[in-house]
Amino acid sequence: MQVKEKIYVLYRGKKIEFEEEKMKVKEILKKLNLSGEYAFAVRNGEILDENQTVKAGDEIKIVNAISGG
Amino acid sequence: MKKCLKCGIRTNIYIPQHRLALCPEHYINWFEARTQRTIEEFKMFQKTDRILVAVSGGKDSLSLWNVLVKLGYEADGLHINLGISEYSEISEIKTRNFAQRIGRKLHIVDLGRDFGRTIPQIKENERRPPCSFCGTLKRYYMNLYAREYGYNVLATAHNLDDEVSVLMLNTLSWNIEYLSRQFPVLPEENGFARKVKPFCKMSEKEAAMYAVLAQIDYIEDECPFAEGSTTLHYKKLISQLEEKSPGTKLRFYSEFLSKMYPVIKDRRPKTSINRCKSCGEPTQSEICMICRMRNNLLYGKLQTSTDKADNP
Ligand code: SF4
Ligand SMILES: [Zn+2]
Ligand SMILES: [Zn+2]
Repeated sequence: MQVKEKIYVLYRGKKIEFEEEKMKVKEILKKLNLSGEYAFAVRNGEILDENQTVKAGDEIKIVNAISGG
Repeated sequence: MKKCLKCGIRTNIYIPQHRLALCPEHYINWFEARTQRTIEEFKMFQKTDRILVAVSGGKDSLSLWNVLVKLGYEADGLHINLGISEYSEISEIKTRNFAQRIGRKLHIVDLGRDFGRTIPQIKENERRPPCSFCGTLKRYYMNLYAREYGYNVLATAHNLDDEVSVLMLNTLSWNIEYLSRQFPVLPEENGFARKVKPFCKMSEKEAAMYAVLAQIDYIEDECPFAEGSTTLHYKKLISQLEEKSPGTKLRFYSEFLSKMYPVIKDRRPKTSINRCKSCGEPTQSEICMICRMRNNLLYGKLQTSTDKADNP
């Protein structure tokens, strides 16, 4: 039996999974209610462009630059 | 895919407000050089100055410390452990590790030990919101440590987004008194050390990208008390403007500094400063706000209604 891979997103200490085969960084940000003006994605230490596609099996990290207080 | 302006290799790193694409290596160089230019533009400090950087363990403050040391400045760190459960524990560990990595001295204030109460404990007895007295305590200890250990400059990592949100808030209420103090370098006066903000022209995202590319291990969690703050609300609003027309934030802030600030800077109220009878720090009253807070907490006295911010 084959285990279906997911897109793994690390965001502020939480691990979120998306069932999609592939997604644009833009779409992931949107799902997390973030804007590319202050948030971005990192894969293996590399900063990704909003229009880049990540696919199932990828693990990415979302950095939200905005802080309050 | 875009190409790095400096070396031509393909890159994802693009800064719309400067219409600039850079590879990781050249982004790091650009960010550091831009900080240096800001330091010079506002005559913040020189290589002979002794700088104390307020480091929370977050991306901005660790990046600032990193940049200043790389640029060759004499910069040590001051971390204040606020006693906010896990958040403060991790912050202190990350800050300590970072100090070791760059080989600079780190001073640590532990509020629970040094003030006698942590932020959550003070919160139980205070009417003011946590960020208000937290800010007062941070400023107090920064100034105290600067004087005790002979630093003549206090550097904080306030970035463009921080400055713009405060500027917006103060402009909406035309708070001339606050506006007249919103300059990225405030000279030493009345017993308060010189204060500088070398990141005042770097956006929050630029600082975060620098932290990632320079492989700085910072605390990602937010202080639990930041949730729902006014600053956060304004930052999100301003971000929408910036998205529609990149460069809005930088223009709003820079034009304020060059056109509006000169007009209102002399409106700064002249206040007479005393020395606190209890601890010797500068204050507008007989007893400084920190000593009053401590007395209230330890002896349960009623807070006077004339509380005023001590620090300009
Ligand atoms: S968010 Fe408020 S309480 Fe938390 S560290 Fe910042 S100023 Fe202090
Ligand atoms: Zn390059
Ligand atoms: Zn005092």
